[in-house]
Amino acid sequence: MNPALVALAALTIGGAVLAVSTRDVRTATVGLLVVLLGSSLIADPWPPPVAILARVTAALLATRFLVIGLRGGVPTGGTRIGWPAEALVAAAAGVVGFGSHGLGAAGLGPAEAQGAGFAVVAVALTPLLTGRDVIRIGLGAFLLLVGAGLIRNGLAAPLSDGEHLVEGLLAIGLGGAVAVIATAARAAGRSDSDDPDGARRRRRPDAHRPTDAERVRKRTPRTGSRP
Amino acid sequence: MTVLPFLIVAAAAGVASLVVRGRRGWSTSIAAGGLVLMTATAAAIGPAAAIEIGGVVLAGSEWLRLYAVLGSVVGLLLVAIDVSAIHEPDVPGVIVLGLGAAVLALAVPEPAVAVVAATAGGLAGVLVAAPVGAAARAAFVGIRELRALSVAGALAIVAAAWIARPLGDLTDIPAVFGLAYLAFALAVAIRFGAIPFHLWAARVADAAPGVALPLLMAWGPAAFAAVALTWIDGSIAPLVMPLPTERAVIAAIGIVSVVLGYLAAWIQDDLEHVVGYTIAADAGFVMLGLATLGPEVWEPARTWLLVFVVTRSALAAWAVAIAGGFGTRRLPELAGWARRAPVLAAAFVVIAVAAVGWPGQAAWQARASLATLALPGMVAAVLAIAPLAGLAIHGRILLVGLRPPGPAVREGRGDRPGWPAPLPRRPMVGLGTIERGLERASHAAGGLLDVVWVLPAAARLNRMPIASAAVLALAGLAFVVAGGGLGVPEAARAVPIAIQPGPDLEPAPVGSPGPGLDPGPSGP
Repeated sequence: MNPALVALAALTIGGAVLAVSTRDVRTATVGLLVVLLGSSLIADPWPPPVAILARVTAALLATRFLVIGLRGGVPTGGTRIGWPAEALVAAAAGVVGFGSHGLGAAGLGPAEAQGAGFAVVAVALTPLLTGRDVIRIGLGAFLLLVGAGLIRNGLAAPLSDGEHLVEGLLAIGLGGAVAVIATAARAAGRSDSDDPDGARRRRRPDAHRPTDAERVRKRTPRTGSRP
Repeated sequence: MTVLPFLIVAAAAGVASLVVRGRRGWSTSIAAGGLVLMTATAAAIGPAAAIEIGGVVLAGSEWLRLYAVLGSVVGLLLVAIDVSAIHEPDVPGVIVLGLGAAVLALAVPEPAVAVVAATAGGLAGVLVAAPVGAAARAAFVGIRELRALSVAGALAIVAAAWIARPLGDLTDIPAVFGLAYLAFALAVAIRFGAIPFHLWAARVADAAPGVALPLLMAWGPAAFAAVALTWIDGSIAPLVMPLPTERAVIAAIGIVSVVLGYLAAWIQDDLEHVVGYTIAADAGFVMLGLATLGPEVWEPARTWLLVFVVTRSALAAWAVAIAGGFGTRRLPELAGWARRAPVLAAAFVVIAVAAVGWPGQAAWQARASLATLALPGMVAAVLAIAPLAGLAIHGRILLVGLRPPGPAVREGRGDRPGWPAPLPRRPMVGLGTIERGLERASHAAGGLLDVVWVLPAAARLNRMPIASAAVLALAGLAFVVAGGGLGVPEAARAVPIAIQPGPDLEPAPVGSPGPGLDPGPSGP
């Protein structure tokens, strides 16, 4: 186990937890920046300086796009289960990823990368699948692809310079895509992901729906009530 | 020449077009110029030319060259139709960038890198699905597209990485390979919006500009599918494992997509939904190609990919021209469209013939081969003739067009050409013979200059005929490609110069449950 890689993996996982937990979009952007910077460095051997420079530039550009798109405070709901629970989910997934390094065969990359990848994917799934606002879903989509890249780093041979460049382009594209969606949401004044045309509405749980008797009682004015 | 000049032109023109997006004329001109250059550089790509950049090889092939040339020409025609009919913002730049990313994905022989490039290229589509400054529905559609792209990309990245390494000590070989194969195939299905993964695609078809639909739903996913075919051919097929359950699931997605896609396209009233569902139906045949592990699927699958993207691009272009001319894309409001736009009607018939085809035609044979290779006899026979449903889909639209024109069509622009009213002739005021002669000469010269002046006005007046002519050209291209012209079968047959080496497995002993290893690439 490489302590430096473990520290980087912990930092990356912390950034992911911060990004999905906070309600402040600027803090979420900082978390995402930490994830992007950390994910490019969890490799053994470390990437050459030019590749690191390309990844750092891509990370800064991606988050800059996000900052532009999120300017003006598009609201986001944050986590529903609290950051400690998110952190525990990430830690559990990280341990599973670390312990199952190689997924059945010898992995060519560091186990820390696979552990971090599992953790980032685990915290990304909840906002991606159950998020109610576009910012949270966008962050989930971003983290899912970064997590998949980390798992790839743990399984396969180290990335070449050209592969780092392509990964950087993906990060820039993701930042731009989330920023464009956030801008559209801000222009519309709403960030929830429900169909605005009202094709599908959430059905209230049966326990909270009025019974037929209650509906009749509601329609009939009470005797002696004011008109 | 290598593929590098094409990629440089695409990146430069696409970024420049989007940077000046506030000035729509400049943005479109830069993209159109870029597409012209891309056509030239694509035609010059050598099938054996390769270059290594930072450890990543960019290799050309016959099929890649044809994809790039056809993509550039179709993109140029789509931009021309867009400018003539509606002129949506950002679309030309996104077409250029998306096409560049798709060609990059096809040029990289390593699937693990190619899927990342293909996913990054797909993200460009979010810009037109959720345009800046648009309404709430744009964010709703854009986030669904982003979610589909990220899930598909993550599945493909992990699947490609999982078995792209020595796996001699793998504990559970069939399960691992089956899962990776299924994950990659599902990623392709999600990218195409194949049924039952079509909900996001239906929203995009509803909200995105019609002229961007071919890139979002056909050209980009087709590149993704081509990467998947290469990966399966290099990593899964050589192992000679039957993987019956995984193949059955993938084939079932293909069958459902074909049948329900055609059915949905038949009952839809919105033309862009018709385009979207026919793309989903055609994507079903691509899924059947992924469900076959033998090398014999190589040629029909890659033939079909080219045929279907060009044919559906032509149909999407026709729908855009109709919407631009008559201000609606709802079929009930388009009664009489064929009477008012006979050139578009002719183009529509050509598109229908190219899309449905006939036995012996390259497209028909490719579809039939894909069905026969992936499915048992009777089901394959039924699915091979399923595209005849296209007759009902296209016939219904054409019948509506032959009715007496409705209000929207009467008030819309037809595609008969017109000419701006000429300027009034200036009166002769000269007195003597020489004076009048000079005056006549100056009037004649002025008349010539008036013609030059009138040309932009004529172009403005004849937007619909120009769009119709471009659609007709695109329909003709689709007909030629569907018929096997332009060297499509030869390009589909050709093997790329570099193929993913695949997992390094020891050959299994005879009679053991482990995989065998067929040395060398399985492509023909």
